[in-house]
Amino acid sequence: MSDFGFHLAFWSLAAMTLGGASMIMISRNLIHAVIWLVMSMLGVAGLYLTLSADFIAVVQVLIYVGAISVLMLFAIMLTPRAERDNSQNMKTGGPAAIVVLLVMISTLWVAIDTDWGAVREAALTEQARLIGESLIKHYILPFEIGAVLLTAALVGAIALARQDDEDAAVHASSLQAELEGDASVDPVDVVDPPIPSDGEAGS
Amino acid sequence: MIIGLEHYLVLGALLFCIGFFIALSKKNAIGVLIGVELMLNAVNLTLIAFSRFGSAEVALSTQVFVVFIIAVAAAEVAVGLALALVVYRNRQTISVDRTTLLKG
Repeated sequence: MSDFGFHLAFWSLAAMTLGGASMIMISRNLIHAVIWLVMSMLGVAGLYLTLSADFIAVVQVLIYVGAISVLMLFAIMLTPRAERDNSQNMKTGGPAAIVVLLVMISTLWVAIDTDWGAVREAALTEQARLIGESLIKHYILPFEIGAVLLTAALVGAIALARQDDEDAAVHASSLQAELEGDASVDPVDVVDPPIPSDGEAGS
Repeated sequence: MIIGLEHYLVLGALLFCIGFFIALSKKNAIGVLIGVELMLNAVNLTLIAFSRFGSAEVALSTQVFVVFIIAVAAAEVAVGLALALVVYRNRQTISVDRTTLLKG
């Protein structure tokens, strides 16, 4: 009976993952696409659990489902005048389909045809402890490089995304004007920083 | 039928191909990033499958590798979305068709 449960889990999680990914391809609305991405990531996390990788599954939920999807929603909402639509590019769609079809045929052929020599040993126990120990002992140099990479990416993202000083000043003054009840400032324009007329209206 | 390594490999290959197609064909830069995330997830799924169906020392190092991939993916998406914001601020669009400043 536990075999039946495993089958049920695998096939439903596989359907969830591939279905979510296909809905990203089909969906016309970018925000819906991110929601489908969350579903697909949750399916992958469940598949990690069926592979007895519990620590990785928790990390997947925390980072992908929690952080990256929220980051993407923020980026979508911070680009209000860009098109929301998630449509395909008609010019590159055809060649892309051909390339992807070739990749799919070759990878599927390799996956099915190769004798992988799979062994079914007992799964690792205490994975979090084992991974932590080997990160600190064995993989200490990659671990430190990863820390530096994350710091650099964080600083770089902030440096890229932060506004210039003049823009920030304009934005702040128009916000101030709005707070003081200045009716001449259009509240729609206040939301978008790089509009020079706002500065005159605010100051 | 026993669910074995091949099932997970086929699933990972299909997920990778869907992500690849999304990354190649979407118009919106954030859509392209979503496709890249799907591809990275497919690779992680394949690695974890190999970790489960391999010997014990392979299992541990594969999981550590997946942790590194997740960290690099987080850094990549943070910088990518910041770049999308900068492109939007300068050009009022993040459509990859219309950011053609380098086109000769």
